[in-house]
Amino acid sequence: MKQTVLAVLMFCFFTIGLQAQNTVKGIVVDGDSEKPLKDVSVTVSKNTAYAVKTNQNGVFILEKLSNGSYILQIKLEGYEVQNFPVDFSGNSIDLGTILLYKDFSIDQDLSLITITDDELNDDASAADNIAGLLQATRDIYLRTAAFEFSSSFFRIKGLDSGNGKVLINGIEMNKLYDGRAQWSNWGGLNDVLRNQEFSNGLSPSNYTFGGVLGSTNIDTRASEQRAGTRISYSSSNRSYVHRVMATHSTGIIDGGWSMTFSGSRRTGVEGFNEGTSYNAYSLFAAIEKKINENHSINFTSIFTPNRRGKSSPNTQEVFDLKGIAYNDYWGYLNGRKVNSRIKEVEEPIIMLNHYWDMNDKTSLQTNIAYQFGKIGNSRLDFNGGANPSPTYYQYLPSFSLRNDDLEGAYEARERFQNDGQLDWNRIFDANITNSSVGLNNAYVLYEDRNDDKQLSFNSILNTELTNNISLNAKLEYKRLRSHSFAEVIDLLGGAGYLDINPFADSMDAMQNNLLDPNRIVGVGDVFRYNYKLNSDVVGAFTQAQFKYNKVDFYGAVNVTRTTHQREGLYQNGRFVNNSLGLSDKIDFTNYGLKTGATYKITGRHLLDANVAYMTQAPTIRNSFSNSRENNTIVEDLQSEKVLSTDLSYIVRSPIITSRLTAYYTNVQDATEISFYFADGVGGDNTAFVQEVLSGIERNHIGLELGIEAQVTSTIKLKGAASIGQFTYGNNPDLYLTSDVADNGGFDSNFRSKNYVALLENYKLASGPQNAYSVGFEYRDPNYWWIGATTNFFTNTYVDVAPLTRSANFYEDADGLPFSDYDPELARELLQQEKFDDYMVVNLIGGKSWKIGDKFVSVFATVNNLFGEEYKSGGFEQGRNANFRQLRDDKALDTPVFGNKYWYGRGTTYFLNVNLRF
Amino acid sequence: MKTNKTIILLLALVASISFTSCVEDGDFTVPQSLGAEENAAVETIEAELADSNSGLTEISIANLKDLVVNGQATEITSNIVVKGYVTSSDETGNFYKEFFIQDRPENPTSAVKIALELVDSYNKFNIGRQVYIRLNGLYVGEVRSGDGVVTIGGNKNEDGDEVENLSLSQLENQLFRASNTEAIVPLSVKFSEINESHVGIYVQVENAQFPTNLAGKTFVDANDRFDTQRTLQSCDGFGFTTFILETSAFASFKFSTLPAGGGTIAGVISKTFNGSDLVLALNSNLDVKMNGSKCTPLDINDFSVVVQEDFDSSIDNSTFNFPGWTNFAEEGSELWSEQVFSGNGYAEFSTFRSGDDVNIGWLISPGIDMDSQTNEFLNFQIAQHHLDSAENTLELFVSTDYNGSNVTAATWQPVSANLPVPSDSWYAFKDSGLVDLSSYSGVLYVGFKVTGSGNDQTLDGAYMLDDFKVLAQ
Repeated sequence: MKQTVLAVLMFCFFTIGLQAQNTVKGIVVDGDSEKPLKDVSVTVSKNTAYAVKTNQNGVFILEKLSNGSYILQIKLEGYEVQNFPVDFSGNSIDLGTILLYKDFSIDQDLSLITITDDELNDDASAADNIAGLLQATRDIYLRTAAFEFSSSFFRIKGLDSGNGKVLINGIEMNKLYDGRAQWSNWGGLNDVLRNQEFSNGLSPSNYTFGGVLGSTNIDTRASEQRAGTRISYSSSNRSYVHRVMATHSTGIIDGGWSMTFSGSRRTGVEGFNEGTSYNAYSLFAAIEKKINENHSINFTSIFTPNRRGKSSPNTQEVFDLKGIAYNDYWGYLNGRKVNSRIKEVEEPIIMLNHYWDMNDKTSLQTNIAYQFGKIGNSRLDFNGGANPSPTYYQYLPSFSLRNDDLEGAYEARERFQNDGQLDWNRIFDANITNSSVGLNNAYVLYEDRNDDKQLSFNSILNTELTNNISLNAKLEYKRLRSHSFAEVIDLLGGAGYLDINPFADSMDAMQNNLLDPNRIVGVGDVFRYNYKLNSDVVGAFTQAQFKYNKVDFYGAVNVTRTTHQREGLYQNGRFVNNSLGLSDKIDFTNYGLKTGATYKITGRHLLDANVAYMTQAPTIRNSFSNSRENNTIVEDLQSEKVLSTDLSYIVRSPIITSRLTAYYTNVQDATEISFYFADGVGGDNTAFVQEVLSGIERNHIGLELGIEAQVTSTIKLKGAASIGQFTYGNNPDLYLTSDVADNGGFDSNFRSKNYVALLENYKLASGPQNAYSVGFEYRDPNYWWIGATTNFFTNTYVDVAPLTRSANFYEDADGLPFSDYDPELARELLQQEKFDDYMVVNLIGGKSWKIGDKFVSVFATVNNLFGEEYKSGGFEQGRNANFRQLRDDKALDTPVFGNKYWYGRGTTYFLNVNLRF
Repeated sequence: MKTNKTIILLLALVASISFTSCVEDGDFTVPQSLGAEENAAVETIEAELADSNSGLTEISIANLKDLVVNGQATEITSNIVVKGYVTSSDETGNFYKEFFIQDRPENPTSAVKIALELVDSYNKFNIGRQVYIRLNGLYVGEVRSGDGVVTIGGNKNEDGDEVENLSLSQLENQLFRASNTEAIVPLSVKFSEINESHVGIYVQVENAQFPTNLAGKTFVDANDRFDTQRTLQSCDGFGFTTFILETSAFASFKFSTLPAGGGTIAGVISKTFNGSDLVLALNSNLDVKMNGSKCTPLDINDFSVVVQEDFDSSIDNSTFNFPGWTNFAEEGSELWSEQVFSGNGYAEFSTFRSGDDVNIGWLISPGIDMDSQTNEFLNFQIAQHHLDSAENTLELFVSTDYNGSNVTAATWQPVSANLPVPSDSWYAFKDSGLVDLSSYSGVLYVGFKVTGSGNDQTLDGAYMLDDFKVLAQ
């Protein structure tokens, strides 16, 4: 410490004492195009007073430097930093032409997008991942969250990804259905989606009010794309096996035109999980015409049809028998692994943007977008056959053991271990057998379809009122017309499938559509359910930002009006009076307020604080309790109220960059709807139920820390930590609906009585609540680099079943507690499962070459180097709904309805070769 | 130069991958090999059966049932195979983890149940499908001890008195479907004729209906947790014969309304849970075709009596010698006798201890004038005791050229009536039904011919005749 002080004093003395006439100059050009680069910052080490920027010709001159040895640092965003040692002794140094090369590390985001592709698209795995939102950030904590934590289903601040808004050219892409962005709509177009502006948390964005987790605006303007051609090939064993991608951008050419085209293909017979096929094409075109100095028009079209095989969550019994890559959705058909559950997304986007620079200070951007197409999730239906799932509980050893049938358990175990996949041949045989004797199909392959048509329109005004004050304003309108139905994909050898629900009691009740009863459906026919959802959102947003020397601050207001309405196209036999036609229209007026300030203690030490309060209309998903079958609206439906606040301390020194944030977010009046088959409802009854949980309060409190130290010019140490506690804050209300009336605890309106779910202080299932990462990067001057991180995850919890935390758990049909109810045992049974802590080591490395005028770069990552097996998520099956059921099941060595889990992947790799010219 | 080569190579790689790596994730072509394995297994069985040296032999269902030791699950340890045709279906949920096979698609004589660990077996073992079961290592017996339904199972319970379901692997390795499905022609029976031997057989009953007091009721009563029994009836002479229709509470048609009319019903004969009664079980409610009008039993007031003999003037244990009647021994020396029991007189023919190898005894009515009235019907009460075999027959004949003394010289035409079978209760008279005689003219004689033996204990049963009537309408 003393020595440091001494050195600083000495240094000051020298700089003052030996102020000589030293000059250093040079021209900075792009290493590829050899075009001059402007606004490159040139600094002399240890003294920011000597900082200049290059002019339009790439020229810089630093004058009046004192004698001594320095490091001259040349820096430009997106390029590699160049360091020149210089010795001054009263001379003038001309560094000549300095080639600045583009920073290849930006290629890292390729691996990031792989993660995004993998997890984000798969709504069937509990994955709700924020990685995609964070691609553009430089913040070390967020980068660590994106790169290292995301494959563990880590959630920033424990919040759902719907709290982060994704915009393309100012148009919000989050789906009105569930509030989340559908990443597969633009997957495989990494090259052209690089221009992103990320606003973390509540910090202001020029394009949107944003969510609690912030927002990303992706800019696809053709004129902003890096000119040139880029071809890459990737190989991986995570989700796709091969990816090829080619992109060409013209830059601005004659007549003010710019064009960018990109296409890619991703394929794989299976990823890490068995049978997870991958089949995706991506096409992109952006054409921009600069009409004059003030007006530009950009047209963008994105089409990314993709089909992916899904993988199943499994009980521990299944994982123990078949390993963590096991997936029960596939089986061999004609010698190939064929997955019965394919998610197909085909939702083209077309977009027209008008950019109007009214003057130096003011710009108006007007956007119109139309998205249409379909999302299909395929699966098997079997109203005339046995359950085809190899993990159906009756086929597993635990079921036989429950019945004390050791021989049966042994046989089930043998069968499951030796085979244990979907038996396509049996399915075909059943259908063919039936059709040969004139019977309807036993099985059918169909898809649950969601055909959305969304029109979005908005105008965004940005103006600098003074040098210090800028104003943003936005008006927007969104109109969604969504059509949901089930459609037959293949009859699998049969002649026709009878459209009934065989679990209903009477022939009328069995009908899915009384308007056309006992219909036999074939390929392409709609069946089971058929309805439309209409949503309209009108919104206005305005924001003022103030920037001063010592302090920056802002304030923003957002107002929206949302309406939802369902229109049933079928008259369901179980809901004769409540399924056909229009539902009531529900509407919500919502607002958001936020403000925040950054106080610069010095240029290197900053304090940042934000606070926001907003109300959010319930998503369509949480508005209708059983939208497939009827028009029932969730009772007493409320907007969510979100209060969020954070405080950060930020350090930016040449060696250390760090941010420490404390945050608290409180959500109230949230609604959740879940569907499951429950055993033990209203006493000793079974039913397929919709569970409506409302008035939910959640608390998210914690610390985020990111720190990065440039130890030498080549070695960087990195660390990040997220310590959070995400809990239910109250005991929300709960009721069930079903298609059973006047029986088993349900009244004549198919509704159960009111319950309270005693969830307060239970943990939220939001991935690991604590995560830590330490690592290093070595960057060799010869254009290769390597890095490694070790990541620790703790406090991951299973998603609890609310119904078992309600009075239904201990009440018999007469409303009195079960005679054998044991509160001690009940407490034990309802203990929330905490998953084991785990550690994952990741490696990354790469190298780049310049061959002639072409650039080749290669990089590879290895995730989970030591193949750690860990549970990344899981949920309690709702099936054991009461004390007796749960007690009896948990008393078994292997529960029949144990928790279902997703396991993290074992060791995986990703390799990318990239050619650019 | 080198660079260009690299690029060309890379482009070639890129192109080749993007065009060749198609993922056939939506191809649901019917598998070519479907059923090949099973067909081969059936061919092997058929070849082995044709080859007398193979060691594999076929056993009929009837003979298989004879292997059952009463009250035991009997393991089959020999290399035998049974063949049959599926008669039941669990498509509607009225059967659960079981199906029946009978020995022939038409005119079956015997059937057996298969208990198996498979639900929705109808889409594999469809009605009419020919199946082979390699029995070695399997068990025959009852699923519920004492229920009287002979069943092929895969194992026995701890007590050894019940068979358990065939496991899925046993199904794969021992139960094989031939490629052919035969049309099962329902065995036409009357309710009164249905007996133990029909269990598992697909039968059809004409002129059946549900009693009027079940009008508006459903197949299953909502209060019944497992199954509901509904009475079936069919007009028979001056009254009804009845039978039980049993339907599972898991059947998809459980809450369909019972038809109000009359007509035919077809189903599989089974037994109640404890085996106490025979029941009819439906494969589907579509097999109930009662759209016609209901039958009404005959009304005695509509008839006049032409001839009537109640045999009440019988002298117990004396040779039958009613005036006008012929008592004739065609073989052996045994004749019909007069009997009295509890004051009721009747005629009986018994070969018990007759001492003859073969006895054939005729009892012939007095001549009936068929010309002085129209629409004549024959009706009588008939019973048996100690009847062990269907070979121990009673046959009913009529003749218009019988001269009153020479039985063998006359032309005897067989006529059918509701006659006793070995499973009937002993000594219990049942109605013969109305035997239509309207097509005859002149003088008609009715002959009852019994064939039996005094030395063969399976053929020494007895027949009892009472209340002989000829009616006219």
